[in-house]
Amino acid sequence: MEALSSLADGFTVALTLQNLFLALLGCFLGTIIGALPGLGPSNGVAILIPLAFTLGLPATPALILLTSVYYGAMYGGRISSILLNIPGDEPALMTTLDGYPMAKKGQAGEALALSGIASFIGAFFATWGLVFLAPLLVSVALLFGPAEYFALFTLAFCTLGGVASRNQAKAAVAAALGIGISTIGVDAMAGVDRFTFGNVHLFSGIDFLIAIVGLFAISEVFLFLEHRGQGEASNANMKLGRVTAPLSMIKACLGAMSRSTVLGFLAGVLPGAGASLGSFISYSIEKRVSDGQKTFGKGDPRGVAAPEAGNNAAAGGALVPMLALGVPGSGTTAVLLAMLLALNITPGPLLFQQNPDVVWGLIAALFIGNIMLLAMNIPLVSLFVRVLLIPPRYLMPAVAMISFVGIYGISGSTFDLYLLVGFGVAGYILRKLDVPLVPVILGTLLGGEMEKSLRRAVQISDGDWSVLLGSPLAVGLWAFAILGFIAPLIVGRYLRPKIADSTAAEGADPD
Amino acid sequence: MSDRIFGVVCLLLAGFYIYSASTIELGFIETPVGPRAFPYIIGTLLALGGLYPILVPDERPDWPDMRGMIEIVFAVAVLIAYAFLLEDVGFVIATAFAAALLGWRLGTPPLRAAVSGVLISVGIYVIFHLILGLSLARGPWGF
Amino acid sequence: MRKILSGSVATLFAAFALTGSALAFEPGNTECIAPANPGGGWDFTCRQVGKTLYDIKVISNPMQVVNKAGGGGGVAFAEVVSKRNEDNNLIVAASSATATRLAQGAYPGASMDQVRWIGTVGADYGVIAVSKDSPINTLPELLDQIKADPASVPVAGGSAVGGWDHLKVLIAAQKADIDVKKVKYVAFDGGGEAVTQLLGGHVKAFSGDISEAKGFVDSGDIKIIAVLAPERLPGEFDQFPTAREQGVDVVGANWRGFYAPGDMSDDAYDFWTGAIKTVYDSDEWKQVMTQNGLMPLSLSGEEFQTFVSEHIGQVETLSKEIGLIK
Repeated sequence: MEALSSLADGFTVALTLQNLFLALLGCFLGTIIGALPGLGPSNGVAILIPLAFTLGLPATPALILLTSVYYGAMYGGRISSILLNIPGDEPALMTTLDGYPMAKKGQAGEALALSGIASFIGAFFATWGLVFLAPLLVSVALLFGPAEYFALFTLAFCTLGGVASRNQAKAAVAAALGIGISTIGVDAMAGVDRFTFGNVHLFSGIDFLIAIVGLFAISEVFLFLEHRGQGEASNANMKLGRVTAPLSMIKACLGAMSRSTVLGFLAGVLPGAGASLGSFISYSIEKRVSDGQKTFGKGDPRGVAAPEAGNNAAAGGALVPMLALGVPGSGTTAVLLAMLLALNITPGPLLFQQNPDVVWGLIAALFIGNIMLLAMNIPLVSLFVRVLLIPPRYLMPAVAMISFVGIYGISGSTFDLYLLVGFGVAGYILRKLDVPLVPVILGTLLGGEMEKSLRRAVQISDGDWSVLLGSPLAVGLWAFAILGFIAPLIVGRYLRPKIADSTAAEGADPD
Repeated sequence: MSDRIFGVVCLLLAGFYIYSASTIELGFIETPVGPRAFPYIIGTLLALGGLYPILVPDERPDWPDMRGMIEIVFAVAVLIAYAFLLEDVGFVIATAFAAALLGWRLGTPPLRAAVSGVLISVGIYVIFHLILGLSLARGPWGF
Repeated sequence: MRKILSGSVATLFAAFALTGSALAFEPGNTECIAPANPGGGWDFTCRQVGKTLYDIKVISNPMQVVNKAGGGGGVAFAEVVSKRNEDNNLIVAASSATATRLAQGAYPGASMDQVRWIGTVGADYGVIAVSKDSPINTLPELLDQIKADPASVPVAGGSAVGGWDHLKVLIAAQKADIDVKKVKYVAFDGGGEAVTQLLGGHVKAFSGDISEAKGFVDSGDIKIIAVLAPERLPGEFDQFPTAREQGVDVVGANWRGFYAPGDMSDDAYDFWTGAIKTVYDSDEWKQVMTQNGLMPLSLSGEEFQTFVSEHIGQVETLSKEIGLIK
């Protein structure tokens, strides 16, 4: 109960007029940044750091502003996913799978409202997790050595087969393309160039944001150009529908939300996995557990609730290693960490004792920000859905140009813009050929880490490959991957429901 | 047919990727898994995945007609020209032109397209540069 | 085109300034390039120095920070050399990593003489640490164990193979006559991740910067067995022994500083070296340094130029010895 009284102290720190205003500002800017393609939580926080400097804010208010931006961006990413099929940032990727089909069915408002609630639940309980479980979870995170990470990433790729069920071979091709992209650049494990062809722009690899924005946003523009004439029609039949989620729908999604919150939070706690893995695992496992009628991917509300609860829970989870270990679990927390250091706060094992006011003020601010975001997002749904009323001939040029600015404004590199166009064309062709894009992004996001984990593990063990199964945790992850996702593919379709049941039992306790 | 071509492209790409991987210099420290091994695995996966659509192709996708194709090629050209000229003419002008051209091709009457292009460009400039403080390309006139 | 145009406009203004005032250089719209995305070390260097310059009124307009990511700083370097070579209002953030990469030829066709080196604003010194339960207590003990059985001592660091965290270990190993090719260095993404692996018992030693290790030393989770500084560090850091006092002569400073375009006028160069020195000496900067765990290291002008060139020479020799570069 010590935690609760510390939290109460935290609220007295956070509940000042100035801090509330900063939280509101942060939530608002964060939501917009999250919704804009190309600008995600990490870049959003990074570009607002100068603002915190300019305002001359002391540690706690500065952190309140920036974490509100962080949570806001996690909320905002879903907006463009659902309305335009363009993920605003990488954690919102999975929301496109069922969110956009829902919008097409005229349920855009419901999808937005539901995902807002799911985001709230994920973030809310993750923040409680941060309050009570931080020390415990740190010891869990320490169990993950390279071998365990490799098993975890393998598990993530194994679940792909379930996500893109239409043509497994094409999903495999897509994942291979993505992982292939992640191998471009200087190889940190050996210090040599790979696939750079002497081009200095490729030395530090290809930013996955370019892949996301190119494959989704730019290719969408091409699709509209192709269907010009018919294209106007496709938008007109998007009815706005209701702007709240019916209670029955929320009830139906409660299971999905709670499972995803736990999974997302755990994924967030592991440094090196992060929010995108959280939303991905949440979606794919939810699909495996409850997609009896094969409605996932066709606008199933649970397919919207699961990844949104998952990625917001992961955002909260990622704060655990950042605060308790000083290890960023995601790109955003890396930026927050740099900010903390600049404010003379050293995150790490002693942070909770040395700067309790900062930590608990921050946690209190997360609760406040989260409630503000819910309060702000639900009424704003009716405003967001109006985006669909803008004719594509005005909307699409704006989307294209915002995508370009999102990329150029961060890296300042025109080379990245050429790449972006290239990814746009590739995305267009892959869509035409019915090759799923999600595995490409997943490969780009996680491929590099997967390879590095493998090589680190085998390097530490001096070439002894058995180290990959060297701990009960690693064995457990492999068993889960094989029994839950590989075996069903091999055994065949008619056995599927049976196995899905058995994994449901396992799914409750993945460790 | 499209799927077969796609499969062949995957095979060629896998071949090129594996060939390039074989030319990666090995690191100076000897490690059990070098920089080539993982690309070999991925290349093989890509090749195997590429075989499938060759053997079992899906139905022919709905490719655009000549007009659609020209539209897309034109848009790609506009976007490449945008990237090429961005730093020389500055953000606002380049963006206004690109947005106007895209809007025009999407069916906006030319004059309205021009106006919407300018509005999009200035709007983005205000949000990204003036509010968020990102440095966008400064042309000879500073914007 | 635009660069030439703005360049000539700038020269024109510079000419007016020359005839108008004394011969000194007057800064106009100053710009600092951070060769990475926002939020990284170079970005912070630009923003904090820019802010201090403006706060202490060395420059009259706020400095604009431009991010030019790519190639580990190589893209920005190439752009400065090819397009901004005469810009008197431009400085670029740099660090040990810049010099290391220049030495290893990681910026194609680039050399340190293509730009002018201005000065440093501080440094983060390297440390070598082991976990609290480790039987090892001193640097020589660690090196002895590596010498006896290199495979049994995986060392984790936050930089890539060939990067600064790796080279620091290798320099130490070299001084102890260990075959550097045998040293088992495992690269992680950043010092934080590497420390966690040490805490979890997945590796035996850690090579990083003192700012990354400090929190875990205070909590008693890890032991710093050597600081790679010329002498003991000030304040509470003086409890940690240096490598040098243990008989292993290694100094590994991760310095932070700036370079400027190669054809910057001498007046402008003098202005910028003076400006960075003024920042370094200011009380405002002292505060920033304590906040960021930056240690004293002040070099400017010629002195810095020599320092960088020595650093590059050392890294080049070492990289050749271990076969990283040919």
